[in-house]
Amino acid sequence: MYCVRVEKVVKHSKDVATIVFDGILPSYPGQFVMLNLFGYEEIPLSLSSPRSVTVKAVGETTRALVDISPGALVGIKGPMGNPFTPAEGKALLVAGGIGIAPLLYLHDYLIAEGVEVHVFYGARNADEIVCLERLKSYEVATDDGSAGFHGNVVELAATKDLSSYRKIYACGPEPMLKALYKLLNERELLNRAEFSLERYMKCGIGVCGSCVLENGLRVCVEGPVFSAAKLEW
Amino acid sequence: MLEVELCGLKMKNPLMLASGIMGSHVSSLIRISRHAGAVVAKSVGTEPREGYRNPVVVNYAHGLINAVGLSSPGVRAFAEELEKFRAEGRSPLVVSLFASTSEEFASLTPHFPMADAFELNLSCPHAENVGMAVGSDPELVKEIVAEVKRSTEKPVFAKLSPNVLDVVEIGKAAEEGGVDAVVAVNTVKGMSIDIVSRKPKLSNISGGVSGEAIKPIALKCVWDLYKELDVPVIGVGGITTWKDVVEFILAGATAVQIGSALFYSHRIFYSLVESLKAYTRSTGESLVELVGKAHTG
Ligand SMILES: Cc1cc2nc3c(=O)[nH]c(=O)nc-3n(C[C@H](O)[C@H](O)[C@H](O)COP(=O)(O)OP(=O)(O)OC[C@H]3O[C@@H](n4cnc5c(N)ncnc54)[C@H](O)[C@@H]3O)c2cc1C
Ligand SMILES: Cc1cc2nc3c(=O)[nH]c(=O)nc-3n(C[C@H](O)[C@H](O)[C@H](O)COP(=O)(O)O)c2cc1C
Ligand code: FES
Repeated sequence: MYCVRVEKVVKHSKDVATIVFDGILPSYPGQFVMLNLFGYEEIPLSLSSPRSVTVKAVGETTRALVDISPGALVGIKGPMGNPFTPAEGKALLVAGGIGIAPLLYLHDYLIAEGVEVHVFYGARNADEIVCLERLKSYEVATDDGSAGFHGNVVELAATKDLSSYRKIYACGPEPMLKALYKLLNERELLNRAEFSLERYMKCGIGVCGSCVLENGLRVCVEGPVFSAAKLEW
Repeated sequence: MLEVELCGLKMKNPLMLASGIMGSHVSSLIRISRHAGAVVAKSVGTEPREGYRNPVVVNYAHGLINAVGLSSPGVRAFAEELEKFRAEGRSPLVVSLFASTSEEFASLTPHFPMADAFELNLSCPHAENVGMAVGSDPELVKEIVAEVKRSTEKPVFAKLSPNVLDVVEIGKAAEEGGVDAVVAVNTVKGMSIDIVSRKPKLSNISGGVSGEAIKPIALKCVWDLYKELDVPVIGVGGITTWKDVVEFILAGATAVQIGSALFYSHRIFYSLVESLKAYTRSTGESLVELVGKAHTG
């Protein structure tokens, strides 16, 4: 573990903020860090750029992190885990809720590589949609219809022809990923997809076993990004 | 060339997964059992237990320091989790138990019909009233082992702590209680401080050191126990390469356990097996012939 200082906090809503560090963490999109908020807990967070995390307050530690002040020190283990693999041509990103975090980093990375990127971004309501200004080409879906497509993001994807995308990257709640898996399986596109998964983590470095999947693989080391075709859902 | 028999357990090689590493889910135990000679599940107690707050593990240049705090879903839920091992496990399953009294230890064994053996955690250095707290008293160790032996026909191993004045004294007490093998060692007490935030890195302040750093300590414990006891010794602590395995066997270990090295490679069991095969081919001796060889001559 080493320490970095918080340089800036960008509040996107009451519950979501991007915490920018004072230095770059050498990393690839899809990797995560174990962030230790002193006095609270050490939690896994995906990088939303080489020098930031984007966090949603869901409990004690994430709440305190969203409300952190610039200048504070936080402990970092990582970056760790397997990143997304790069694409050529056209790529689709599918985000559910705070699952947008690692995809923001991937979005900027792919665009810098000259990839044509489109984003489907779903959330419960308009207030929970964040960082749209960073996205070049996107469509939004909300469960309550308060912005964009009325329905979930997989229902939005189902209305589209997806066959022109060479790669499909997704991150979001597991039920959403399972629905997307089914859709891509039906359309025979599963082998183009990579999903970033979440599991309860303790050590983050592959020894404690708290993050293992039904297939025996660890989210912290063999993941968090898995090729969808290998998931056996 | 690698096969061993340990207290009646037939193992395809002497490499066992150590308790607490990747041992909380049956899926990872099954996966590891493909290459490991046996697997030991995460220590389980009577009641569900949260463990300490994160951070619970830190890594440093020579190993890991952990204070997981024996987090466990409790005996019922864990027995249910392990049930699937019976059908899909590919090597013997050892269930590790923790408790604070001999009765409590003995009450755990009937829950695990799928276990091939039991390991008693008499050595976790960072939990109150269990682990080392009960494993430092020779009388209590003898009583616990005897009581557990009465509760089951299966082999019972006692896992010892290096944080005692005389590990042999505790090993002897376990032997007098009727233990089938001793496991040496659990982690060595230690800590780490972050100099920027000026705070201990673990939420529990201190924990147990494992990995390469503790190998010489563990090796000496195995050496001493092999010399003084009649029951087999299982060596554990810092084993990372095939040479480490051979060293422990020469010191007197019939089998060895591997934990922290999984931090470096998920395929550690596979690669150690391949290296040990090459080693035994080159010397023309099977591994069992080498047990304790460093003591003679
Ligand atoms: C690889 C990975 C990447 C992640 N990336 C992000 C991200 O970029 N942005 C973001 O906002 N969140 C992310 N999360 C989720 C984030 O780690 C949890 O929201 C956070 O740990 C909750 O902590 P808490 O103390 O605030 O909440 P708690 O009160 O502890 O719990 C609230 C919820 O979070 C879950 N949770 C608690 N602890 C953990 C843990 N150690 N690991 C996983 N889930 C946990 C609980 O099951 C519960 O549903 C990621 C999780 C993983 C595994
Ligand atoms: C994260 C972690 C959790 C552990 N949990 C347990 C446990 O539940 N029960 C136990 O007997 N030993 C536990 N141990 C100790 C190991 O089984 C082993 O004795 C020790 O780590 C030394 O071996 P190693 O250097 O190969 O890791 C744990 C070790 C680590 C690193
Ligand atoms: S969090 Fe410990 S193994 Fe993944």
